[in-house]
Parts: sequence; structure tokens; C-alpha cells
Amino acid sequence: MTCSAANAVPAAGPEGVDAALGAAATVPPPRSDGRPGSAPAGSPARASGTEDRVLAHSVEVSSPGRGDSGCAPGAPGRTGGGALSDAVLTANAEWFCRLRWACVAFLTLFGLGGAVPGLFERLGLTPHPLWPFAVAALLAISNVGFVWHGAAMRRRQAREAGRGSLWLQIASDLALLTVVVHYAGPWDTDVRMAYLFHIVLACIFFPPRQSILVLLAAGLLYGSCVALDASGVLACGRLFAPPVGTPALPPMVPGRLLDAIGAPAVWSVVWYLTSFLSEMVRAQDEALARTNLRLEAAQEERTRHMLVTTHELKAPFAAIQANAQLLSKGYCGKLPQEALTVVLRISARSRRLGHVIQDMLQLANLNSATQNPPDRTRVDLVRSLRWSLDQARPLAEERQVRLEVDLGTVPLLTWAAEDHLKMLFSNLLTNAVTYSRDGGCVTVRCSARSGGGPHVVIQDRGIGIAPAKLPHVFDEYYRTEEAVKHFRESTGLGLTIVRQILRSGGIGATISSEPDVGTRWDLDFPPPRQPDGSDRVVSSEVSPWTTC
Amino acid sequence: MDHVLIIDDDEDFAMATGVALRSSGYEVSICLEAQQAVAVALEHAPDLIVLDVMFPEDPSAGFSLARELRRASDRLKQVPILMLTAVNSRFPLGFNRRDIDGEWLPVTDLAEKPMDLDVLRLKVAELLHPRKG
Repeated sequence: MTCSAANAVPAAGPEGVDAALGAAATVPPPRSDGRPGSAPAGSPARASGTEDRVLAHSVEVSSPGRGDSGCAPGAPGRTGGGALSDAVLTANAEWFCRLRWACVAFLTLFGLGGAVPGLFERLGLTPHPLWPFAVAALLAISNVGFVWHGAAMRRRQAREAGRGSLWLQIASDLALLTVVVHYAGPWDTDVRMAYLFHIVLACIFFPPRQSILVLLAAGLLYGSCVALDASGVLACGRLFAPPVGTPALPPMVPGRLLDAIGAPAVWSVVWYLTSFLSEMVRAQDEALARTNLRLEAAQEERTRHMLVTTHELKAPFAAIQANAQLLSKGYCGKLPQEALTVVLRISARSRRLGHVIQDMLQLANLNSATQNPPDRTRVDLVRSLRWSLDQARPLAEERQVRLEVDLGTVPLLTWAAEDHLKMLFSNLLTNAVTYSRDGGCVTVRCSARSGGGPHVVIQDRGIGIAPAKLPHVFDEYYRTEEAVKHFRESTGLGLTIVRQILRSGGIGATISSEPDVGTRWDLDFPPPRQPDGSDRVVSSEVSPWTTC
Repeated sequence: MDHVLIIDDDEDFAMATGVALRSSGYEVSICLEAQQAVAVALEHAPDLIVLDVMFPEDPSAGFSLARELRRASDRLKQVPILMLTAVNSRFPLGFNRRDIDGEWLPVTDLAEKPMDLDVLRLKVAELLHPRKG
């Protein structure tokens, strides 16, 4: 066995190509079916001893693991201009509404506590018969309005709905908070510090030029409250009852004025620090988002470039071969034997060169993907295997190699990049068929490991590989003499591609081979993760083993 | 005589394919430009179309062209289309017969370039006169 021009494949289907090619044409809506095809029926009997026989020499190619690639972080929730995206703001507006229900409950309980005879006196609080209920009711009514408004905006998919809702909520909350401050007293309690919540949240949600409006509004409302109380125009309430026999301090005492000025001063400092830090985070987010966009664009460009390059390099060989065939097959008249031999050589070399170019491009793509790993998802391995078998079948028919396949009857999920799976299977299957003897047999079966991911075995009874050569088969352009004798057109890159996929996908693999007996691949795939990307393993049913 | 229309921007390949098909007794027309393909097909309706995927001005013209041809006339809805491409099964975004779809990829069969001309002739014959059963 050696590295062949493996029929490396993979795929996202024509829609993927359409997209990768940047088609300007109108494209119908994406197809929703995965068309996995039907699983072959099989009898639940174990494979025969010869198929399971452990070959004399084996090499562990790759250990199962997490692979190079991880989950890409979610898209940053900020848009240009230093503000959070509307989706994030909408989510926060909804969170605000939920939080407000807690405030409504607290105020209601506070009001009920005041209604319990003697409770507030024992706690040193001034009885407040009605205002907590009134504020709770107003808060509840406004909250119902916000919830309704949010739902309506969502239905209409209105732009900027989250931003508008948040501003409305902040304005309404500030007004109601001022009522609470008025009744609880602007001096002796820390209720006024509740303004800070809105100031800090505004700093996070909005850029400084907008969040400062919340600071100014809070200062204005609180200042008005203090001024009205101090001037005696509208006396504020007191949450804490003064100790018996202690005269209440007049509002205009300088210490109190200092206290009243101190609160907005603290808010201003907090606003400055929070908005400064938020701006820094925002700037970093935006830089990351820009980098991400650039990377995505580069990735798309690379895919498009590879497609076009593949076409541009491969198409001329197709034309050369077609024309060489016109000569060699006698479409243009009978050629002298010597000329025919030359034409056939031209045809064979051009075909091999076409394969080499294909594999080189694929390997370059994989090497590049190691630095920019492909997205791995929950994939049905059986579906990819079936796809690759379809690719290998014409070659198997041509070489009269029997494919004995047992894919079980249930999907086997793994965590992988689907196109890499297809590329891997297609390479291994093509190798197995290519290096089988005429009339030989290639066995393919898959099962689920208990508590782990799928296990796949691909085994041929072909020319095999000598033990001393086995460790080298993954080297670029390495071909054993036996392999070259058996199939001159191999590129020596197929197994290099396989190794790259195994490493990047965290796929465990063992190759066992013995000259003139055959080669067997045992592949252990990682278990699937949850759709949310967590590592929790999803159980798969065990695929029955059958005699092929 | 069955009429085969080859739509491919690669003149060398199209000509070679044309020679092979003519030798099998087919009437062959060649269209090298994707933009003219529908008009050519409408003007002289083919019995079979051999269609490439990538064209110089639009690297996925073959896909959209297949859809346009199907929409162009009732006759063309029924004409077998054999899609040939140098970029398919070996590329990470490859596609195969499983991807043939009345809406997405309304072709009858797919094949990869380079292709054995004898195999191509057999395939063309099979598509034009499918065996019963």
C-alpha cells in the first residue's frame, strides 16, 4: 500500500459550489433535505475471522482527541459606531422587563410590610401606607407596555426596536425612581444610588455621548427632588423614623447639601470609569469583528481561488486527454504502433499530472485550514461514507473489485467537518480499491463504540505494505516500489492528505498491513457534541455487524 | 439522427468530444458561450445537452444554465442534460449524482473531466435511449 492519487473528494453539494464560486445567478432557496439515502439492510452476524484478523504490522497514525479546531466564537454583538447590535439590545430590553417584575414584587412586599401593624415601627421605619403600591402598580403597567411593545416590534422585525425600547424603559424607570426617592427621602437612604444601575447599564449599552444623557437626567431628577425638599415647596418623605426625641435636621444644613452633591459626583465618576472601560472593550470588539470579517473574506476568496485554479489547471489536461484519445482510439484514422505508444504515454502522463495538481491543491488547502480550522458540526458519518462509496464504485467496477459494505441501519453521529470526512473516506477507499488485486474485495463497515464515537474499518486484501515502509507512507510523494509497479499513476500525496485530516479532526487511526495480505484501517471518530457546542456526549445506537 | 448540443467554453475539449460523438452518428452542435446557450438550444432543439459547469465570466454558469434551459421551453424540460466538469468529486465542495435535484441541479447525469471518450459515447447513447427496466 502506498499513497495514491486518492479520489479525494468531499463536498457541500452544488449549492456549496454555487456559493463558493460567487455565483451571480439567482439561486433557488436552499434544499432542506440531506438525502442520506437508505441504509443497506444487513443480517446481524459478525464478520468472518479472516476479515477481522489483525495484520502483522500496524502503525498508530493519529490518536483520538479534540483535534486542532475548536468552536469559533460567536459573532461579536456590536455594530459599527460603538453601539451594541440591535439583537443584543433587544435581548437586554427583555432582560430589563424581567428584572422590573422583581422590583414590582419588592415594592409590593414593602407596601404589605407597612400594612402590618407595628412592623415598621419595630424596624425603625416610617409607615408608608400607599406609595409603594402606587409605584409598583405604575411599574407593572409600564412593564406590561414594554413587554407588549417588544413583542410587537419583534413581530414587525423593526430595526432599532431594542434601542428604542431600552431608552423608553430607562426614562420611565428614572421617573419612577425619582418618585421613590421623593417618598423614601433624598438624604438619609441609599435609594438614590439606584440611579447608578441605569447609568452603568447605559454606559454598557450605549456610547458615552448617549449614556451621559442618562447621567444628566438622573442628576436633574435627583437635584429637582432635593431642591423641592430643601426649599419646602414639596417636602419629601423619610424612610427611617428619627429616634424618639431627636429633632429632624433641617434640609438646608450644609452637611446635607454636601451629601446631596456627593451622590451625583459619585455617579459622574462611575459613569466616567464605566464608559471609559466600555469604550475600550467596544473598540476591541470592533477590531475583532473587523478581523473576523477579513478572515471570512479571505477564506471565501481562498475557496473560490482554489476552485478556479483547480479548473484552470485541470481543464487543459482534460482537453489534452480528449485529443490524445481521438488519436489513440482511431477517431482520426489508424496510427502506426510507435506513434500510438507515444500518444498513450502523453495521455498517461497528462492524467497523472492532473491528479498531482489536484492533490497538491487539496493538500495546500488542508495545510491552510490547519491555521484556520474548518467548522466542525454534528455529522452523520454513515452519510459521508455512503457518498464516498459512490465515488469509489466506478473505479471498483473498472478494476473488478468487490465492495463489501455494512453501514448498519442507524445514523452514526460524530463531530467533524463533513467535507473532510468525505475527503478522508474517498482517499482511503480509492487506495483500498486501487491496491487490491483484480477481482479482490474491499470491506467497509462501521459501528458505534460503547460510550464513544463511531468506529470505521476499511480493509483490503491487496498488495499490502512492508513493515519497514509503513511509517513512511504518509510522507509527501512517497511511493513504495510495489505500489508504483501495481499502479504507476499514484501521486504519493493521498495519505499525506489523510494524515492531515486525521490530525485536524482529532480522529484516531491505526493502519495495519502485511505484504500480499492487505491493509486495514481502523478509524475512531470523536463523539458528537451537543448542538450548543458543549462536550456532552450524544449516545448513538450500536450498528449491527454483518457478514458482508 | 439525434442532435447533441455541447455547451463548453473549452474549444479543444468541445471539438474533441464533438468528433467522437459525430463518429457515432450524432449531429453535433457546439456552443462556446454560456450566454448564447439558451438561444442556441431554442433555435435548434437538441435531443441531448452536454454541459460544462465553469465559464470564464461566471464560474458557476453551468448550474444556472441548467435551470434556465429547463425553464426555457417544454421541450427543453425533457431533454437529458449530461453535466461534465473538471471540478467535482476531487474538490472539497464537490458534488455527485446524489445532488441531482429538479430545482437545484436539474441535470440527468454528471461526469468528471477528463473522461474516456468511449465511456462518454456509451453514456450519451444510454441517456438518449435508456434501456427499459
